[in-house]
Amino acid sequence: MRIFSMAMKDLKVLFRDKMGAFFIIGFPILMGLFFGLVMGGEPGSGGSAKMKVAVVDNDQSEFSKQFVESLQANESVTIETDDLDSAKNSVRTGSRVAVLVIEPGFGKTAGLFWETPPTIKIGVDQSRTAESAMLQGYVMESIGQLASVRLQDVTELTGFVNDAQKDLAEDTEISMANRMVVSAFLTSMESMATNFGKLQTNEELSSGAGQLGGGGGFDFVNLEPMNVNREVDPNSVGGQLKKLKSRWDISFPQAIMWGVLSCVAGFSISIARERSMGTMTRLQVAPVSKLEILLGKALACFITVIFVAIMMTGLGMLLGMKPDSIPMLVIATTSVAICFVGIMMVMSLLGKTEQSVSGAGWAVNMVMAMLGGCMIPVMFMPGFMQQLSYISPIRWAILSLEGAIWREFSIGEMFLPCSILLLVGVVGLAIGTTMLSRDE
Amino acid sequence: MKSGIVSAEKLFKSYGDQVAVDGLSFGINRGETFGLLGPNGAGKTTTISMLVGLLKPDSGEVTIRRDQNGNDVGSPLLPEFRRMVGIAPQQLSLYDDLTAKENLNFFGQLYGLSGQQLDKRVDWALEFAKLTDRKNDRVGTYSGGMKRRINIAVALVHEPEIILLDEPTVGVDPQSRNHIFDCIEQLQSKGITVLYTTHYMEEAQRLCDRVAIMDHGKLLALDTVMGLVEKHGGRSVVSGELGQRPEQISFPGSVDDDLKFRFESNTPLDEVASLSSQGVQFQTLSVTKPDLESVFLTLTGRSLRD
Repeated sequence: MRIFSMAMKDLKVLFRDKMGAFFIIGFPILMGLFFGLVMGGEPGSGGSAKMKVAVVDNDQSEFSKQFVESLQANESVTIETDDLDSAKNSVRTGSRVAVLVIEPGFGKTAGLFWETPPTIKIGVDQSRTAESAMLQGYVMESIGQLASVRLQDVTELTGFVNDAQKDLAEDTEISMANRMVVSAFLTSMESMATNFGKLQTNEELSSGAGQLGGGGGFDFVNLEPMNVNREVDPNSVGGQLKKLKSRWDISFPQAIMWGVLSCVAGFSISIARERSMGTMTRLQVAPVSKLEILLGKALACFITVIFVAIMMTGLGMLLGMKPDSIPMLVIATTSVAICFVGIMMVMSLLGKTEQSVSGAGWAVNMVMAMLGGCMIPVMFMPGFMQQLSYISPIRWAILSLEGAIWREFSIGEMFLPCSILLLVGVVGLAIGTTMLSRDE
Repeated sequence: MKSGIVSAEKLFKSYGDQVAVDGLSFGINRGETFGLLGPNGAGKTTTISMLVGLLKPDSGEVTIRRDQNGNDVGSPLLPEFRRMVGIAPQQLSLYDDLTAKENLNFFGQLYGLSGQQLDKRVDWALEFAKLTDRKNDRVGTYSGGMKRRINIAVALVHEPEIILLDEPTVGVDPQSRNHIFDCIEQLQSKGITVLYTTHYMEEAQRLCDRVAIMDHGKLLALDTVMGLVEKHGGRSVVSGELGQRPEQISFPGSVDDDLKFRFESNTPLDEVASLSSQGVQFQTLSVTKPDLESVFLTLTGRSLRD
């Protein structure tokens, strides 16, 4: 009961200090939003991250329009038609990622593999080469779709075969052997074109419109969907990022930890503040043990850390963060709270005055934050820094939170970071109690 | 005969080479107001800290008696004896960000009060400090005198039998000082034992039944104010200005060219009456009786405020 009273008193005192309340509530929200917005290009970051591309259609043919429509259908790209000067200017000033210029004659040859490939000029923002590379892929995809359409155009294909057979007949220089081979190939193509006609007829007759295979009388090919993406090492940055569902998945564990560090800083000076205010005298004279005084502070800090975690998780979920497992998040948050309550206990006794405790506390906090991934996510650090980061409890705290939010940790995988956090917390509590009991 | 409630036996405390309390022994009777008088640095606060268990003496012992017969004796370190004691430290010991009511509630809870009992005691303490109308204001917004009063009220909220007031009037305006005196007299009337430390001799003289005079950590004298003055205060001082120089009588003191005079006497009024009957004309007359200031001067050779 007395411990609870002391905790409630500490919470009142803390939250009536506007600056203290800001650092515990406002600061982590700012950090979470800041880092989340910085990571705006991450997977699943939503429609607002579509790349804007200008298209200048100098061909204005049926197939150039089909090509543009195909690009527009891509969910990752926003296509805006424009004139050349305006489009180039927009890329130069950074408002668009690239400009595509479709040259005249595009429609005559685009998608026809036997013709000279059409030319598409592409101008890119040099600072966004990764997105430009993705755009080139989308362009190739759209050209491929155009080729598919044109290959299924029987009239065009038959016309091409007839023209070729005519040219072959008129060519006197070709050898007999080659003439026979080419003639056989063209005959096969003519036969294929004829069968396309039958296939289309059958498709029209049946209800399976749009299918390439599996229809009525003719099976051209049995197409099955296949994931052709390259396998990614799950431990690599790319592999880890693949698991992210939202930009907030990375920024909010970091933000929670900034909030936790603010709690630690806020509560670590409270014992020194009790001394400077003289209230420590009253606490020590009252029938309250030193352990109870410490546990009161620990409980207040624990409640605040849990509050910050719940607040930040709620805010993150509103913005699109989707924790994989709420029970895991509860386990991780509880472990984090216990760990940093223990650290707070030790920090609170590092000095006699508020200034010395505050200075030492933030110094320790900043080192832990830098090493542990509060500033730069550990996955983006060089190898040796990643190894070094294991000495920071923040590394384990973020790992446990991420494990619950997007790393899909099992109970077994969660055991290591959580047990390390709990160990640090218990050791901190023990050291803090011992130091205070020796303090006179 | 009042029974002893606090006993200090040969207390010794030093900080490095600096001796703060040097072999101090005294007892405080139940229901009395006991003064510790001494200049700054005399060791008063260190003594109080040892009496409430905040500091452990290097040697010696402090005991508190719970019953009138003196059978239930214990150390101030034990929780059951701590409940008997309330302290208003010299330094204001309040949470500025909490209201007066919240401060009283919190400290009351620390002593095990709850529910209606707590509410009743908090209301009493607010009324005692005359702060009921400001009970919901944060202490940080109070004047110095109001803070001093709530500082005392917090010490009383759990209804202690012994209250230790460490220099409670430091930095307080005269009006608030008088209010604090009224509060202490109210406690005296309730039979609460008060230990009062001060370096203002007039406070000790007004409030204390017995006074211990301390200097450099040592107890110089302990008695009632009257007893101390009688033993160590010296004679009264008679001074003033004469109408004419006395010619044919034996004048007890010196008279300068301006006819100003000064002499000491154990019976000043009788002596003045005798001189007057012999024809001595007094233009002005002043009789200064010995007080604790003169007691301290006698005992240490210097003033309390040196």
